[in-house]
Amino acid sequence: MSRQHAIRRRGVAAAIALGLVIPLAACSAPAAGDDQQYDTWDEVVAAAQGQTVKLWMYGGDEQGNAYVNDVLVPAAAELGVTLEQVPIADTPDALNRILSEVQAGTTDGEVDLVWVNGNNFGTGKEAGAWECGWTDLLPNMALTDPADPLLLDDFGTPVDGCEAPWHKAQFTFVYNSDTVTDVPTTLDELLDWARANPGRFTYPAPPDFTGSVFVREVLYSVSGGYENVPLGFDQAAFDELTPALYAELQDLEPSLWRDGETYPQDSNELNQLFADGEVDFTMTYGPATLTQLVADGTYPAGTKVLTLDEGTVGNASFLGLASTSGSKAGAMVVANLSLSAEQQAAKAEPDVWGQFTVLDLDQLSDEQRALFEALPSSPVVPSYDVLSENANPELAAAWVTPIDEGWRQLVLAQ
Amino acid sequence: MAPAVAIAAFVVIGGIGMSLVQSLGLLPLVGEPRFSLDAYLANGDELLTGLGLSLGIATASTVLSCIIGLTAAVVITQGRVTGRLVAALSALTIPVPHLIGAAAVGLLISDSGVLPRMLGIDGADWPDLVGGPWWVAVVLEYTWKESAFVALVVAGVLASRVARYDETAALLGASRARRLRHVVIPLATPAVIVSAIIIFVYTFGSYEVAWLLGRPYPEPLPVLAFRLFDAISLTSRPEAAAVAVITTAISLVVVAAGMALLRRTPLWR
Repeated sequence: MSRQHAIRRRGVAAAIALGLVIPLAACSAPAAGDDQQYDTWDEVVAAAQGQTVKLWMYGGDEQGNAYVNDVLVPAAAELGVTLEQVPIADTPDALNRILSEVQAGTTDGEVDLVWVNGNNFGTGKEAGAWECGWTDLLPNMALTDPADPLLLDDFGTPVDGCEAPWHKAQFTFVYNSDTVTDVPTTLDELLDWARANPGRFTYPAPPDFTGSVFVREVLYSVSGGYENVPLGFDQAAFDELTPALYAELQDLEPSLWRDGETYPQDSNELNQLFADGEVDFTMTYGPATLTQLVADGTYPAGTKVLTLDEGTVGNASFLGLASTSGSKAGAMVVANLSLSAEQQAAKAEPDVWGQFTVLDLDQLSDEQRALFEALPSSPVVPSYDVLSENANPELAAAWVTPIDEGWRQLVLAQ
Repeated sequence: MAPAVAIAAFVVIGGIGMSLVQSLGLLPLVGEPRFSLDAYLANGDELLTGLGLSLGIATASTVLSCIIGLTAAVVITQGRVTGRLVAALSALTIPVPHLIGAAAVGLLISDSGVLPRMLGIDGADWPDLVGGPWWVAVVLEYTWKESAFVALVVAGVLASRVARYDETAALLGASRARRLRHVVIPLATPAVIVSAIIIFVYTFGSYEVAWLLGRPYPEPLPVLAFRLFDAISLTSRPEAAAVAVITTAISLVVVAAGMALLRRTPLWR
């Protein structure tokens, strides 16, 4: 072997060794950022001055993007915090980023705040992705109801001050009243309607967020109501309750769009089918956007919200603070600002974003309450009180993966 | 030479090494590191169907791209107006990102896309090109983009080498068909093989086109890997890494086989 060859071989071997060793060496747990511990709100506000906060959030909702960039960002700037929105395709992208940073021991990561709830929150909490116990510092938490179950538990995971409430959502079915004449009033009737009208109904393939909750709605329905499904995951309950769920969905399959041979990949694809008139139903966690979609002609003029007798799933979504963030004070200032009556009311405007408030109107001053009473009513979407009647609780995050996996194996792959 | 190799090895082997370590359960997000092959066995059926599908998509895209690209290259090197037009079209196609290409193909040929609307065909009667059982839209997008790539690479080789040989053969009285068979195609072969290797490996490992224009089941390997990586349960990260390692290993085998084929071409010696 020539000398040059030997040197090259050694260089490559060293590089390989380094490439393996450096990442492994960085895998020790990050030390707690002691310089970012605050005892009073004044300390937080002082530390937040001049900080830049990156808010990672689902970027597929134009109204949401517009609210953050046109309303929230300027308001944060007035408080001395530079807020930047990072639009992402899917919330796990942000969680993955934080988890990679946790693995690498980063203390000034790319993610500060994340719009999050449900499984992403539960998984992140398990892996140490979130800063916890900071929300009781926020003055505006006083405007929420301390006993509101939606704000205490997030899909069965205790919130524990690891995330600040942002808005409430209600899972909603939407139909075209020009083509659907015999309107279903229960989920069971909806599935019967689908059988009677082949090809005019479908749902997104889980693990899509919307498709996943639809499957859980069917689980409640075939189990005779949500009361019969334990919210915490339990293997015995899973084994007992899910066969009826999958049998129902297998039976439904041939009546779906494209004979059930395939499913829309995500909720956007289902919305597109509804907009193009290929199906007569769609479903969404954000019914407030419907008003705008009908007004600009994207959705058919006959678009209406379907209210079910047994109610649908409701939840709250939150702003999580990444444990790897280097701008924790700034992030807390933004979370507190997002909870102010002015921001919550502005966000609830149907032509802004139309997101339901997490505030308890009884805790507000008359002046603050007037902001919410002045909100216009929509020709398409009933008020939150009507929508959230009989709201069903979300199952614990631990249910979601097994249900989705079972659906892939028993419904999709058959 | 050595520094360049060292840097490339650091990046490539480091990345693949990390995936390998994760796939073997030695770098869990929670819990103790424990060597196991579980991640490779966890999705056995989906891995096999995904592998078949990925190989099918990559093979179809590569073969079609090479045939169309080689034809286009021959047309380009004829130097007539048609040739210049084909060259311009190919040059315009290259800078379009695959993501944009996929979105455009989707808008054009989906059930309620531009084409069925222009032709006045109802969505229900239109074939399932997007998200259908044969992955037509995916192969179409790859073929359109990659045949332009083959055309330009091969035309470059032909323009620099073929003209002299082609003229000589013509002077010796060879017909156009015989010149094509005995001069042009043999001279173009190495460039076509190299292009084919690049296209195959790219389409085999590419995610966005297959996701945008595909269907939820079965999944090509990169889509399966990304779904597992993004899945909400922490245990599926090693499974995602395992799919990525398998995808990489097969790509390396394909490159090795392609290089062996290349060495056997007369021109390479």
